[in-house]
Amino acid sequence: MQNRRDFLNLLCRGTILTGLAATTGVLAYRSVKGGNCDLGTSCNNCKKSESCDLPEAALFRQTVWQLDPTKCIQCGRCAENCVMSPSAVKVTHVYAMCGYCDLCGGYLKPDTKNISTAAENQLCPTSAIKRKFVEDPFYQYTIDEPLCIGCAKCVKGCGAFGNGSLQLQIRHDRCVNCNECSIARNCPSDAFKRVPANKPYLLQGIEAKPEEKNKV
Amino acid sequence: MKQKIIIISALALLLLLIIFMVKDFFFNNPGNTNPYQFELDNIRKGDSAKAVFAETQQIKTSLEEIHGIATDTSGKIYVSGKDSVAIFDAKGKTVNKFRIAGTAQCIAVSENGKIFLGIQDHIEIWNNRGEQLAKWASLGTDAVLTSIAVKGENIFIADAGQKVVYRCHIKGYLLGKIGLKDPATGVPGFIIPSPYFDLGISKDGNLWVVNPGRHSFEKYKFNGTLLSSWGKASMATEGFCGCCNPSNFAFINDSLFVTSEKAIERVKIYSADGTFLCVVATPDQFESGTKGLDLAVDKQNRILVLDPVKKMIRIFEPKK
Amino acid sequence: MKKTLALVFLVFLFTIQFMNSYGIQRFPKPEFESGYVQPETLLPNPRAEVLAILDIAVLIISLSVVSWLVIKKRNRNGVFWMSLFALAYFGFYREGCVCAIGSIQNVTLAIFDKSYLIPISAIIFFVAPLVYTLFFGRTFCAAVCPFGAMQDLVAFSPQKLGSRLNAVLGVIPYIYLGLAVIYAATGTDFIICRYDPFVGIWRFNASFGIFVFGGILLVIGIFIARPYCRFLCPYGVLLNWASRFSRKHITITPAECIQCRLCENSCPYDAIDIPVTTKNPESKGTMARKLIFITFLIPVLMLAGGWVGSKLNEPLASANAKVRLAKQILNPVTEKNQAETFEIQAFKSAGKQQRQAFAEASEVLHKFYIGSWILGGFIGLVFGSLIAGRMITKHQTDYTPNKGTCFSCVRCVDYCPVKLPLITK
Ligand code: SF4
Ligand code: SF4
Ligand code: SF4
Ligand code: SF4
Ligand code: SF4
Repeated sequence: MQNRRDFLNLLCRGTILTGLAATTGVLAYRSVKGGNCDLGTSCNNCKKSESCDLPEAALFRQTVWQLDPTKCIQCGRCAENCVMSPSAVKVTHVYAMCGYCDLCGGYLKPDTKNISTAAENQLCPTSAIKRKFVEDPFYQYTIDEPLCIGCAKCVKGCGAFGNGSLQLQIRHDRCVNCNECSIARNCPSDAFKRVPANKPYLLQGIEAKPEEKNKV
Repeated sequence: MKQKIIIISALALLLLLIIFMVKDFFFNNPGNTNPYQFELDNIRKGDSAKAVFAETQQIKTSLEEIHGIATDTSGKIYVSGKDSVAIFDAKGKTVNKFRIAGTAQCIAVSENGKIFLGIQDHIEIWNNRGEQLAKWASLGTDAVLTSIAVKGENIFIADAGQKVVYRCHIKGYLLGKIGLKDPATGVPGFIIPSPYFDLGISKDGNLWVVNPGRHSFEKYKFNGTLLSSWGKASMATEGFCGCCNPSNFAFINDSLFVTSEKAIERVKIYSADGTFLCVVATPDQFESGTKGLDLAVDKQNRILVLDPVKKMIRIFEPKK
Repeated sequence: MKKTLALVFLVFLFTIQFMNSYGIQRFPKPEFESGYVQPETLLPNPRAEVLAILDIAVLIISLSVVSWLVIKKRNRNGVFWMSLFALAYFGFYREGCVCAIGSIQNVTLAIFDKSYLIPISAIIFFVAPLVYTLFFGRTFCAAVCPFGAMQDLVAFSPQKLGSRLNAVLGVIPYIYLGLAVIYAATGTDFIICRYDPFVGIWRFNASFGIFVFGGILLVIGIFIARPYCRFLCPYGVLLNWASRFSRKHITITPAECIQCRLCENSCPYDAIDIPVTTKNPESKGTMARKLIFITFLIPVLMLAGGWVGSKLNEPLASANAKVRLAKQILNPVTEKNQAETFEIQAFKSAGKQQRQAFAEASEVLHKFYIGSWILGGFIGLVFGSLIAGRMITKHQTDYTPNKGTCFSCVRCVDYCPVKLPLITK
């Protein structure tokens, strides 16, 4: 009786272990080899090309969340739905695309009568955008990141009137990289996706290379 | 007894949590109001009342992307875009369509019927049968040609990339550069934050160039002397909105300006000295986000607006 | 020749650049004369990838140490300190992410969605605790899982619930697990993470709702020890089953049970099976009748469950974004002066075809249809086994931890008067 039970136990244990091992093997193999693209091909040639954003194979490749600014419609949910408050999504200024305009659509309210930097003329609800004179007629705009709540108002203004140099991004110094980003499930334009941690930004207009040190 | 009460209330709390989860998951859709709404709609609506023009005709183009529009003296309409140029008669029937290599951002037609195309960084000359007559050298790797105007032997080319206007001879050699910043002569220099930079030649033989970053029109002699300028930055109907506008313009009745803007998509008419006269088309007539409404005026003084989003020519005439 | 090729290539590049409809990206910036230098756009890196190795190492070492403490040392104090460490590392330092419970969803998604690259660390967090449990019982729950550790700390006055209540409430984790798998497999949502009760506390930063959720659970935990583990945790289901086949398991007594009943009330989790000795054993006939009844009951319940589930597939699928969008396209908001929903706005601005949206939605619906049949059948099976388990009385002579539900916390061991050195003498 006791023996039979032990044998049954062993059998079940063996089965479960085999199953676990098989799953681990398949998934690990796939993730080490790199992803399959939507086309269903598992080629290794195109992966090296510029246009392919599949992660390169790496043993401990992690994924992080990022939003695609070309899809974003500036609905304002980024400010409200992050597990962090204020949101880990903030506006990122791509200086390389900026027109340095005096009448910045991302800085001034659209119905501003006379141009002045008074707070009531500023579009940003938290006055997170700082304006600095460069030379006639150019102004530099910088983001005071701790103030920004990621509401995307300026992004909309810049996109409508200017060059689209203000873009929302998840800032990885703030993001805790939730297993499922709680903005992702509420984003109406499906802009959020998991990206490989070695290419954690999806900005338009610059080669998005992280420069700062890793956060620990 | 006490134990029972504790257990029951604890279980009730647990149940509450589960009910909360279910409710939150199935019945809590994210709200549909944005507390940080960017209020552009009011401004867009504000303009609608003032329109005295009506849209009388739409001509669909079969091009993949459309960028430039021009008319000739006989009333034909020319549209340039990605890989092709299309020619329509005044009624909207396709007269000809031919393929080109590249995307022609701008187009102009000379008095003798030659078609000038600005393709990224160089000029090409074609005839209306679709034969290439000439292809000029590149104007530089940074060149982004956005407008052409032809008058007799002179051809003026607006280069938004290098922020300058070239004056060339029709044979292809450079006669001069116009609009480079020069404090001595008072030329302020063009401020072009985005690739919209238009020019045109008025009846009195002067060159008008948009300085979009300064929201103004500048009037030059053909030799580059700055004569005058006008323009006002404002979100209100009377002025030009945003960081860089107007994006395009054309002449009507040989002296009035028809202008178009991006961001608040509107087409308006100004007098030659810059007095606002009336609205032709209002923002609600365009998809929001439409950029690059190129303009032309035909023989019958109809205003032709190129709508790159709807991919058609939209014709406006005064309301009866 | 080379030159022409290069030229052609250049021209080609230009055309590409020009075709890009999202503005001309390399449009020259203003020419500054004052020597202004354009600042760099700062992009902070995420947590370094190599640190994933640290997480894995901590997991494996903790599992090994705790298993050794439980099986070899039978030392409650050690287990307690290890659980504090787990709470500090996996809870407060790693802020509850990466966790074994949530990794169920990563693994599921990776199985069903080939484009999802699951990090190796997530696989290991899923597999390692199960493997250890197969050998040593639920030592992971004892002192490696931060959820368990958190609740263990507040279990001040645990009440006995009685076996019937325990069994009925014990069904919830199965349903939770089934739903979590279905939603992960369809790429809808990660519900385990969404209703992760303690993550707000560990991050010191969360919406009010999540704080309250965690707080209430801890309050319940004072009286009903480890409520999340026993009545919600979906990973607990897997561990429960793995533990039933475990090679070794904690025992209350180091040698032989002397029926002193001292440990009877020692387990805060009602996980001790008490001896069952029926005076007059059931006749062969009743046994056979019961068996026949059960063999009929289970398939019937499974079918019924599947059928009910399949009827529920649309409400279940309504949580999916694609399905929601299709619904909104079909019934647009008709109320006056109410703008169209953001979903519709986004759909329009993306320039997608309605047909495409409907096709995607119906594909998801189909997946949910199949999924809800399976889910319903699974729940039917769970209920069937529940009934079967209660009908068949197991004979048992000693006080032993229930291999399935015991968390290997080693509390009961101290209550047993039998001590090993006494015996060996
Ligand atoms: S939720 Fe999506 S659409 Fe809304 S602002 Fe964020 S990224 Fe943009
Ligand atoms: S407007 Fe909103 S997104 Fe832009 S800087 Fe201010 S807070 Fe940030
Ligand atoms: S992953 Fe989490 S912290 Fe990061 S943006 Fe999303 S919700 Fe915020
Ligand atoms: S039952 Fe679940 S939550 Fe509880 S300790 Fe085990 S894995 Fe953690
Ligand atoms: S080790 Fe003992 S006290 Fe702890 S859960 Fe198991 S049976 Fe209960």
